[in-house]
Amino acid sequence: MLYDINLRITYTYEAPVSGGRHVVRVLPLSLPDRQRLVAGTVTCTPAPEERRDSVDFFANPSTSILFRKQHEKLVIRMQARVQLEQQALAADFSPDLTRFPTEIANVWSLDANSPHHFLGASPRLPEDAAISAYARDIAKPGMTIRQIATALCAEIHKDFAYDPKATTVDTTPREAFKLKRGVCQDFTHVMITALRSLGIPAGYVSGFLRTIPPPGKERLEGADAMHAWVRVWCGTTTGWLELDPTNNIFAGLDHIVVGHGRDYSDVAPVIGVLKSYGSHKTEQAVDVIPLQ
Amino acid sequence: MSKKQTAEAMHSENRIGGDPVFGYRALPGIADEMLDTHGNVRPVWQHFLASIGRMDETELSNRFARADRYLRDAGVFYRAYGTKENSERSWPLSHVPVLIDDVEWQAVSKGLIQRAELLERMAADIYGPNRLVAEGFLPPSLVAGNPEFLRPMVGVLPADGHFLHFCSFEIGRGPDGNWWVLSDRTEAPSGAGFALENRVATTRAFSDLYAETHVRRLAGFFGAFRDELQSRKKHPDDRIAVLTPGVANETYFEHAYIARYLGFMLLEGEDLTVVDGRVMVRTVAGLKPVGVLWRRLDAAFADPLELNQSSHIGTPGIVEALRSGSVSIVNSLGSGILETRAFLAFMPTICRHLLGEDPVLPSIATWWCGQQPERDQVAGNIEKMVIGPAYSTRPFFDDNGRSVLGSSLRDTAKVSVAEWLQTDGPKLVGQEVVTLSTTPAWINGKLTPRPMSLRVYVARTRDGWQVMPGGFARIGSGADAAAIAMQAGGSAADVWIVSQKPVEHTTLLPAEESFIRIMPGSLPSRAADNLFWLGRYIERAEGALRILRAWHGRFAETANTEMPLLKDITDYLAVLDIDTKQPVPDSLMANLNSALFSASNIRDRFSADGWLALNDLAKTARKFQSTVQAGDDATHAMTVLLRKLAGFAGLVHENMYRFTGWRFLSIGRYLERGLHMTRLLGHMSGEDAPDGAYDMLLEIGDSVMTHRRRYNVNTAALTVTDLLALDPLNPRSILYQLNEIKTEVEQLPNAFSNGQMSPFYREAMKLHAGLAVMTPEAMSAEVYANLERELGRFSDILAQTYLG
Repeated sequence: MLYDINLRITYTYEAPVSGGRHVVRVLPLSLPDRQRLVAGTVTCTPAPEERRDSVDFFANPSTSILFRKQHEKLVIRMQARVQLEQQALAADFSPDLTRFPTEIANVWSLDANSPHHFLGASPRLPEDAAISAYARDIAKPGMTIRQIATALCAEIHKDFAYDPKATTVDTTPREAFKLKRGVCQDFTHVMITALRSLGIPAGYVSGFLRTIPPPGKERLEGADAMHAWVRVWCGTTTGWLELDPTNNIFAGLDHIVVGHGRDYSDVAPVIGVLKSYGSHKTEQAVDVIPLQ
Repeated sequence: MSKKQTAEAMHSENRIGGDPVFGYRALPGIADEMLDTHGNVRPVWQHFLASIGRMDETELSNRFARADRYLRDAGVFYRAYGTKENSERSWPLSHVPVLIDDVEWQAVSKGLIQRAELLERMAADIYGPNRLVAEGFLPPSLVAGNPEFLRPMVGVLPADGHFLHFCSFEIGRGPDGNWWVLSDRTEAPSGAGFALENRVATTRAFSDLYAETHVRRLAGFFGAFRDELQSRKKHPDDRIAVLTPGVANETYFEHAYIARYLGFMLLEGEDLTVVDGRVMVRTVAGLKPVGVLWRRLDAAFADPLELNQSSHIGTPGIVEALRSGSVSIVNSLGSGILETRAFLAFMPTICRHLLGEDPVLPSIATWWCGQQPERDQVAGNIEKMVIGPAYSTRPFFDDNGRSVLGSSLRDTAKVSVAEWLQTDGPKLVGQEVVTLSTTPAWINGKLTPRPMSLRVYVARTRDGWQVMPGGFARIGSGADAAAIAMQAGGSAADVWIVSQKPVEHTTLLPAEESFIRIMPGSLPSRAADNLFWLGRYIERAEGALRILRAWHGRFAETANTEMPLLKDITDYLAVLDIDTKQPVPDSLMANLNSALFSASNIRDRFSADGWLALNDLAKTARKFQSTVQAGDDATHAMTVLLRKLAGFAGLVHENMYRFTGWRFLSIGRYLERGLHMTRLLGHMSGEDAPDGAYDMLLEIGDSVMTHRRRYNVNTAALTVTDLLALDPLNPRSILYQLNEIKTEVEQLPNAFSNGQMSPFYREAMKLHAGLAVMTPEAMSAEVYANLERELGRFSDILAQTYLG
């Protein structure tokens, strides 16, 4: 599957800002047998005084930009062409919870995909007793890791209402869990917290989701959005699997990966520190255009 | 030690059993610093002990008082967390030093140097190739699950190739007499400055003994480390700075002290900015490069962009600057991971693997409960264990009660301990409970054995790692080692490393032949801001005090607040938020507190005398607030406060070096004094001024005598206006302030560029010239109002030009 993806993030500042430094993570990844970035660029208006493109710890492309001059508006634009490969879902070879800790302990590695990074609490995801209890209820003895993960994904999808008004980008998983409402980020954070409480390594995937228009309707421009889902480490044989609790499906040809991290804080599209005296407004427009 | 002294000591020891000094007995089964296992005084202590044995109680308490007075006068304090009131505590000195033989110290030093080198290699591996994990020497989860593991630093090689430059260790002596390492401090080790202050204070108490004993000096250690940091600079123009989290930090005093002692800048994250990959400090003369940062700030807070995103005390982009290798940071960001308690379990093996040798100093026996054999070991010996968090970076006796003694779990069934270790194992470590040695402390009039541990320091120098010959001893408040923590009432003692031979005397003053006159470096904008506002607050307080004194003086005569003059002043003060119903108004207190806060932010630029004077002023005002009555009593109180304020101003005026910082402080004072007089004259000198207003103005302006001498007439609008607004020689007149401001501004950086006046300097000239040409007749309320606005605007331009 081949896509052209356009993303535009616009910041409008109430009062002019006198400078700012941002880290931008919006460019899709290249992942063996999963997706290939054919071409991609990140541009900013106004043009930054300094810019550096690099790859972070979790192998995500990231761009640091610095503005010294006053500006009232900042537009970050990303354009990319991405080739996605169909993922065949193999038979379930993942172990159950009793054998799992030994299997994890036997991974003597700290590279970006090592399960060890995704087990403990992370900046946005402290341990949470209520979510742990919820997870313990769902994980029955004898279930494999993959079964637990798919069951959790289904339960969250069933128990939570999709409601963009209920939460913000700063909502904690504890609050979202109490509300049983939220958006992809909340669903993903709750599911990661639940998996980790059982000792299952789980991470945050940020990306784009292609939306399929209703039959007979044209695809609406800008109607797509940035998306988030979960990846779960299911043992040495299976490795990482991607599950989307917002839609209760395995991530597939509609899920374009931008970043891997422990939680949102590792992959936020824009992290910024700026000097300003007012609030700001953010707008995001995404187009995921299938080419074949 | 001479034979005579030894004999004397031995003789004294057998003299009186119940003597406060010689009645000292070690506790059974516990090693003691002063007494050996046979109960004999160790040779290194004999002279000291014999000497204090000759002192009576009065003499000893006089000596101790000298030490305490020094600490008080130097303003040595640390901040206690969790208490709102009086959170600044004076430093708890235990007056009796701990004496250690230099020969023994050499052996300890060898072990510490080996350990520092081991930690350096471990840091290089964890933030580099990660072979320790890949080859099975370090469990990956202890790194990946560790909050001190800073992923953005992985693969970043330090500018000078070294991760560690300054470490400290907590060591203790076990019952067998050998030293153990209790914990490693690599993140931002604190206390080296306190060790210096301990030394100075203790030598105040025992100056004679210190001179007679060959105690190794500390200055050489700091000098060598300072030279090392100097040599790390890549450009001669680079600054070296101590990076502090700020005035709210527990050990801020020490940061300021170290910065002043070594001649480095004291900066906060906010002072810094990153431009083209270089760390720059915002100064009143523009951005200046920083080449070396001695960090006292926890690494995660250093960069809100790439590390802890909620940090408000960091510098965005500093990680980026480290990647570009333009700045050296001591110690590297992320080095805190080496403090992890669970690492102690793996260090002996790692030491043999990385260095090819056994550890010279053992660490406290530790088992990480993430593995079954270790869990069994801990559960099986639970009585002898202390269980604590695996990722803790503090020693078990000082971790706010997060560790539990295995013996306290006695009542719990053995099964449940095993179960606990099974479920939470990877988050737990078991450590063998060590009994720390005791050392004599002077308690209730006699020497008493108290548990102690030593905080020792190791620094990287040009000649490799160097150990500070000393450090400080932490002394428990009770017999229990758990009470060593200062927050739990413990105290600190100086450590004397005593040599057989005379020791080298070094000071940090340079030798005469290398004498060069270095002008102070550029003033950081934040420091300038604090100095400017300190000046303004102090002068604002003085203005309020003068008016209030005049008000209460008149009130004392009439006791009638409805008298037109008093009523008029009451209304005037109300606009300034000063309530005459309160003899010492809240807003006056608020001003003094703001002055104190500004001053506390720039402790490194302040003499201890100035600081004490300011504190004394605020303290007195606070006391007056609850005792003073309106009228005569208040008049007297204001006079006392004005005198104290003048004392502070005098100290500053007499002692502060006339450089940029001084100018900002002065401009602040002149500006506020000018504003004060402008407002007051605008309000009181009109035609409808109440009876007595002119006399009162002269009194407030401290110009009664001058007026009498100069004009030889009764007070009248024109003469008062002339004297208080336009007289260039009256240090209270408005014109005088504007003239002084102009003079100071002329000396500021960038007052001229390319031979042209800067816009700011031009403003100062304009302000002065505008008033200088006025006549008393022309000074209307409107002119004053206009001038007040102009002065406010001038303050804004100053802030934009220099303080942003």
